[in-house]
Amino acid sequence: MTQPFEFKQSGHLNPALTDPAARTLNADKLTGRWVNTNRETRGIAEIRIEQGSERFSVSAAGVGADGPVAWPKTGATALANLEEEAGQRAVALAATFDFGFMRAETYLRVNKGVLVIVLFNTFRDESGRSDYVNREFFYRQD
Amino acid sequence: MQFAQICDRVETDAATAGPADVSSLTGVWVNSNPDTNGIARMVMSEAGGKLSIQVYAVGPEGLIDWGAADAQVFMSSPSSRVVAGFTCLYDFGFAETRLQAMIMKGLIVLAEFHSFKDGSRRADYFVREYFALAHGRY
Repeated sequence: MTQPFEFKQSGHLNPALTDPAARTLNADKLTGRWVNTNRETRGIAEIRIEQGSERFSVSAAGVGADGPVAWPKTGATALANLEEEAGQRAVALAATFDFGFMRAETYLRVNKGVLVIVLFNTFRDESGRSDYVNREFFYRQD
Repeated sequence: MQFAQICDRVETDAATAGPADVSSLTGVWVNSNPDTNGIARMVMSEAGGKLSIQVYAVGPEGLIDWGAADAQVFMSSPSSRVVAGFTCLYDFGFAETRLQAMIMKGLIVLAEFHSFKDGSRRADYFVREYFALAHGRY
């Protein structure tokens, strides 16, 4: 990288960031239907990731009291993943679900065939619930 | 009570919840990877129940001080007052970096999301790094 790019850490100057392939690397490893590895989960039961021409979308189904709760489909930002994940490096996704009463900022990545989602949940309904972070694991079921 | 997953339907008492104790996060957190080209260390402090973070990142000619930023604290569940993570945002003008941290077994697992806004055609990217609290005990 020879241009005088601005930076706030050496990582911002990594030549791999100007490789167009970094934006879509192994995106197919993320797309599809994913089911929670924990059959007793009280969180997200399944996730579906789709890739459009421009960007990704993510939808989910939470475990509800009387059946699944459909989460709204939301756009996801693809992020180049410069980490080596057991030689299976793939892009990661960042997505935010907005329910009005709650906002869930998430990131999703694949590690050795397992989809990992980390959720940072913020309540906005004055219910007294604590904002919390949670992590769940999913296996692919196409 | 509205919920999107059954684990969010919990009994709470907003009147007695009180602020979370963030003291477990305060101190100097050092990257486990001495060869990182990202964040070298984070200094976390608490004032008035609020968590503040100051980041020092590795640059070509030494550490770069990102300055201080307010952090939003997250618990381990909707009914918990045990701190389990935090998020914060740095806006550098040419780029934004969002930090999302989870505490696991005494480590901070830090996910960094770097988005460029300067038209440099650099790809937005994601990095995960691990930080340990410098405790000086051993």
